[in-house]
Amino acid sequence: MRKVYRNIAIVTAVFMLVLVAMLGVSYYQMQQVSPLQTEVIETLKELNEGNADNESLQLQIRQLDLISRKAYFVQEGQLKTGIYILLGMALVLIVSLNMYFKESMNLPEKELDPIDEWMTKSRSRKYITWASSIAAVAVLAIVILQNLNFKKSGDVLGGEAEEELLAENAEGDGEASGDVTAADSVQTEETADSVATAEDDGLPIPKITSNAFRGNNSSAMSSAKGIATSWDLKSKKNILWQASVPKHGYNSPVINGRNVFVTGADNAARELYCFDIYTGELKWTVKADKIPGSPSSMPKVNADTGLAASTVATNGQQVCAIFATGDVICADMEGKRLWAKNLGLPDNHYGYASSLLMYGNELIIQYENNSNGKVLALNAANGNQLWSKSVKDKIAWSSPIIATLGGKPALVVMGNPAITAYSLSNGAELWRVECMSGEVGSSPAASNGVVFGASEYAKCIAIDGATGETLWEASDYLPECSSLAATSNLVFCATSYGMVCAYDAKTGAVTKEHDLSTPFYSSPVVADGKVFLFSNSGKAYIFSASDFSLITSFETGEKTFATPAFSDGMMVVRTDKSIYCVKKS
Amino acid sequence: MRRKIITLTSALYCLQGFAEARFPKPDFTSGYQYPEILHSVPMEQVWNVVDIVLLVAMMSAVVWAAYKKRSRAVIYSMSVISVLYYGFFRSGCVCSVGSIQNMILAMVDPTYNLSWYVLLLFLLPIIFAVLFGRVFCSGVCPLGALQELVNVKNFRISRAVSATLSVIPWIYLAFTILYAATRSQFLICRFDPFVGIFRLGGDFGMILFGVGLLILSVFVGRPFCQFLCPYGALLSVFSSLSWKKLDITKDTCINCALCGKSCPVDAIRSPQSSKVKEARSKGVNRIILFAVLLPLFVAAGSLFVGTNSDTLSLANKRVYLYEQLMEKEANPEMEESLEIETFNAMGGNVEELKTEVDEIKHQYSVYSYIIGALIGFVIGFKLLKLSLKRSRKTYEISSAKCTMCGKCFNYCPQNLKKK
Repeated sequence: MRKVYRNIAIVTAVFMLVLVAMLGVSYYQMQQVSPLQTEVIETLKELNEGNADNESLQLQIRQLDLISRKAYFVQEGQLKTGIYILLGMALVLIVSLNMYFKESMNLPEKELDPIDEWMTKSRSRKYITWASSIAAVAVLAIVILQNLNFKKSGDVLGGEAEEELLAENAEGDGEASGDVTAADSVQTEETADSVATAEDDGLPIPKITSNAFRGNNSSAMSSAKGIATSWDLKSKKNILWQASVPKHGYNSPVINGRNVFVTGADNAARELYCFDIYTGELKWTVKADKIPGSPSSMPKVNADTGLAASTVATNGQQVCAIFATGDVICADMEGKRLWAKNLGLPDNHYGYASSLLMYGNELIIQYENNSNGKVLALNAANGNQLWSKSVKDKIAWSSPIIATLGGKPALVVMGNPAITAYSLSNGAELWRVECMSGEVGSSPAASNGVVFGASEYAKCIAIDGATGETLWEASDYLPECSSLAATSNLVFCATSYGMVCAYDAKTGAVTKEHDLSTPFYSSPVVADGKVFLFSNSGKAYIFSASDFSLITSFETGEKTFATPAFSDGMMVVRTDKSIYCVKKS
Repeated sequence: MRRKIITLTSALYCLQGFAEARFPKPDFTSGYQYPEILHSVPMEQVWNVVDIVLLVAMMSAVVWAAYKKRSRAVIYSMSVISVLYYGFFRSGCVCSVGSIQNMILAMVDPTYNLSWYVLLLFLLPIIFAVLFGRVFCSGVCPLGALQELVNVKNFRISRAVSATLSVIPWIYLAFTILYAATRSQFLICRFDPFVGIFRLGGDFGMILFGVGLLILSVFVGRPFCQFLCPYGALLSVFSSLSWKKLDITKDTCINCALCGKSCPVDAIRSPQSSKVKEARSKGVNRIILFAVLLPLFVAAGSLFVGTNSDTLSLANKRVYLYEQLMEKEANPEMEESLEIETFNAMGGNVEELKTEVDEIKHQYSVYSYIIGALIGFVIGFKLLKLSLKRSRKTYEISSAKCTMCGKCFNYCPQNLKKK
């Protein structure tokens, strides 16, 4: 009978070994697999983001998702069953071994420890003494080595790292610009030279500014005159200059004086650029680096959004930029970085896209985040927070505007589900109208004290800026990414499905519509009595601002997603590939 | 055979206690609003009462089986119940072994709310140890019981090696105190080798360690209890002072030596007849020497651990984060760790962190000196104890070491004669 138990034990042990190996492989495979992040599903999801209406594609994604989950669970079930079997076999093995050894009780056949207890004790004392000494020496050696390593790394800054970091933090919000690197200094010197040269060339400093996304106060209105209505990038007709931007970005140009500001970013760096409006020369670059709190790896963003979707803002003394990492940098007009701070990595599934705004020395940020969205104002000179207002709305990709409401300038922010007006001095809420839904990417507009807002899958709405009362609602044509522009009579709207229209500003009735069959992400801007609009493919459309009749349209040859900026007789356009300035020859 | 059948049926019964699988929700945005998921823990209070009642009942049963009946079968059954109930069904948590940490935390932190349940889990085995010896270790502790059930044949470890290794549980206990008192981590929970087996999942390394220990347990009696368990170390002290001492047989010992060889933890001492003759004065001098050295051991241990408190404090997450921040500041080119990234993203304030870290380091300094003294005392006391010569005429159980498995009862010819 003993032999039977022995054989059972041997067979069970062999089976157990094989099973353990199989379970090990299965476990390893499960650890390696991310069932919901397969290349196929990810690719389909990306396709879906650019084409949200494709139901068959969404169905396909759901089916693949379900299959992946099923496969995962089946494998997990198998693993679990395997473990149960293994436990059962372990039980059989133990019982068999017990039965096998049952009759050979631990009889004292021979003395295993032939020396007596006293000898054992003597030996134990010796062992304990030696073991304790060896352990103490080993621990001491490890500690000394570790301390040496720490000291070595700590000596790089002469041991002042701690004090510096604390001092920097005590200044709190990056008051002084101790961050200017040697490279920055060189750039600043170069800037001084180039500015001197530029100023010596006798060209006037343009008076009309475009200080933010869609112009000053993000109003989508410009007082610029004499803007060319035709140009050609190939023949350079009415093209003052064309330059390439070192790094890609979907943000729009901003103009102040002779400076044209844009940003660009990739996984390696995030940069703020300044071009000369007359020559297109890149005057300086400021990097958004070495910022405490900045993430070491870039957040995952949608390709349509990128890392530099937000447009910069300036007040003529400082220019500030924000990136998808939550990094905010501010430089003076000569390209000297004044301060930088990280607001925290925005939890934003498409990527952070809200543009900045400046009101005097206030830098206004619509910090869109899935968990803790807020609207805040920083001191543009030093980055200190002036006020902050927590926002409970769902995440949006809209940008704030400043509008005159009830005779006073106020901040208007559009999100999901509300359009909200805030006081510019302390962030107090003036009114809030819940009217939006879905993913809000469009920005509001205002004219004559009336605020207009629209978003796809929601509605177009007009709100009395003084009271917050809804004046009218319409849903004929609604924008997805493009923002509204408004005059006292008309509200202009460009959609991502190719329709553009003008609503009556007083009634909401559609007064004019054009089926242009091309998507628009860029926003319309009213300048020189006209409405300037670019399609994604790069086709320029110029309408009359009085009746929205199409004056002209032509292909520019370069895809355009950004909104143009206007100055004295000049329009600066950023395309997918370059930045150029249109000016009548 | 009855024992095996009980083991098999009970093992199959316990399988239904495993937790359900979890899987992330679909991340495809469809606009669907997920309802808030609520996890209720019904009946937990009832189960706590069951735990305590069962604990007392099982320890009482062991006392009855060991002192009255000299029956291993009852103790073995307790082991099976313990593994199934406290192990697989209750997932091995909270256990008396881990309750040390809650007790320490409650002692140093008046704001820590120690539940009656944990207090009883900690105290009851100690009360039984003071009265009857290590009753809890016998078949009530699921960790010991699991090792007991898989033990087949014992290969004896040299007593000198065993005596040296027996210092480890005390060192483990000392560091458990340090890390619990400084609110850094619960060391026993983190390095529990069997909890992953009871839950059929967990840290892969720890499961591997647990399986390794179980394989070792097949041929070496209770390696975890002997050479690692900090609660066992604590119980051994109370057990050595216990009111009742366990005898192998009620009858006269015939010095057959069978019991000594049967003990899986080598807790049975043979009759002492020293073959090495040593002058009495030499032995006395040695005892005096170790008695004098004992305070020096305490001081040396205290100084040794205390002066390294800064290094030990790196086990605290806040201290480690602060050190990383300092290192990053010194080497800006260094890759930013996830901890630093999170700290910065959450708007962490370095100055506040430094204040917090200074306080933690101060605590580490104080407790390091204390636990260093404890380790020094344990080593010094062991050496002193090993210098004492005691005479025995029959085979006796060492109360401090005996885990009351009851194996010796079945080997004793005097007991067998009665049956």
